[in-house]
Amino acid sequence: MQLIRESLPLLLRGAQTTMLLVSLCLMLGLMLGVPIALSYLYGPRWLRPLLVAYDRVFRGFPALVLLFLFYFGIGNLPGVHLSPLFTVFLALGLRSAAYQSQIYRGSLLAVRKGQVDAARSLGMTARQTIWSIVIPQAAYFSLPGLSNEYSILLKDTALAFAVGVMELLTEGKFIALRTHAILPIYLTVGVIYLVLTYGGVLLFWVMERSIRIPGLSGHSKGRME
Amino acid sequence: MSLILEFYPHLLAGLAVTLELIVCAAPLGLLIGIVIAVSRAYGGPILSPLAYIYQIIFRGTPLLLQLFVIYYGLPRLGIVLNPLSAAIIGFGLCSGAYHSEYFRGALLSIPVGQLEAARTLGMGKLQTIKSIVLPQMIRRAIPGCSNEVTYLIKYSSLAYLVTVIDLTGQGRLIAYATFRFFDVFLIVGLIYLGLVTIANNLLQRLERKVRIPG
Repeated sequence: MQLIRESLPLLLRGAQTTMLLVSLCLMLGLMLGVPIALSYLYGPRWLRPLLVAYDRVFRGFPALVLLFLFYFGIGNLPGVHLSPLFTVFLALGLRSAAYQSQIYRGSLLAVRKGQVDAARSLGMTARQTIWSIVIPQAAYFSLPGLSNEYSILLKDTALAFAVGVMELLTEGKFIALRTHAILPIYLTVGVIYLVLTYGGVLLFWVMERSIRIPGLSGHSKGRME
Repeated sequence: MSLILEFYPHLLAGLAVTLELIVCAAPLGLLIGIVIAVSRAYGGPILSPLAYIYQIIFRGTPLLLQLFVIYYGLPRLGIVLNPLSAAIIGFGLCSGAYHSEYFRGALLSIPVGQLEAARTLGMGKLQTIKSIVLPQMIRRAIPGCSNEVTYLIKYSSLAYLVTVIDLTGQGRLIAYATFRFFDVFLIVGLIYLGLVTIANNLLQRLERKVRIPG
């Protein structure tokens, strides 16, 4: 108990790094995932093979191999210097973009066709229809998928251990090595992860409820997962 | 290309270990998934909450932490496992928790009327589960479980972090021997991509084959 109390500040510092990584990766994933989904659905045809290749690599390679590819592969190219933290951000963020683009693609397709037809018949341009009708609804449909992506990403940041970033698991590992209290430390680390995972999922759930579109709640429930 | 020619025996050896991990862990995970799903649905006041807690713990913490607990932590309790079995058990336990959610979803989609009909025909509770629930549940869960199996293939690379020299591990050894990090990890990644594609294909075929008519 004494030991856990003493190591808690270090573990919480690690948890901060973990959360920093998760939020940065989610953000990068959002910033790239939305344009990828939009250009896949509405973009020029020649772009598609490129997007598919991106998707295959980032969703088909194991996260650990991607991390090694970026850290040792790209990080060792002449003139390139990547800090471990930045490498993890880049590798997991780009990977999350691939997963998120799938979520957004599904949500964009879930907006009913009649909505688009109605907007166009009211004289809205294609661009206006996408921005004012399709995207707001698709954003709402994306929340369950995003909540899922959050919890996957959170757990995947533990892989940062492999390149020596001092996030939650790495801090735990070092304390465990130093104090030999392996199980109590790992159990504490596990509890912190549980709180972060389910706390975040709860947050997404609250967000989803607060921006619920009247008359659409049943519709969105039908397409969870 | 020359890299592949020169090091293919090592890559093959690593691939063999990776396949061993997957082939052992996937059925273990499926079995655990079925047990957890059925206990959660029909387990009564003791088993059902236990199964729920199992799901919460294994789906809420990183797989790597679970592997560390099993490989580095359990020896403290007198349970010493070699790296390969530690990895297989870890993968099985974790992927079982994810499988169980797919099974549970499939289970809930079975109409209650079928269970009542079975009981009316004089089937016992266990018999109903075995002959009515399980066959339908397993079939309906295949798409979700396929997804989880492809995740397992990719996450099997974590075994390297508990000192198993699998495909990823061999990749790192080759990369350090040749200093061609980018090429080596690209090749390793493509092999995993190949495995995932093949597995997806096979599982889709299975899904079509065992579909329930009507």
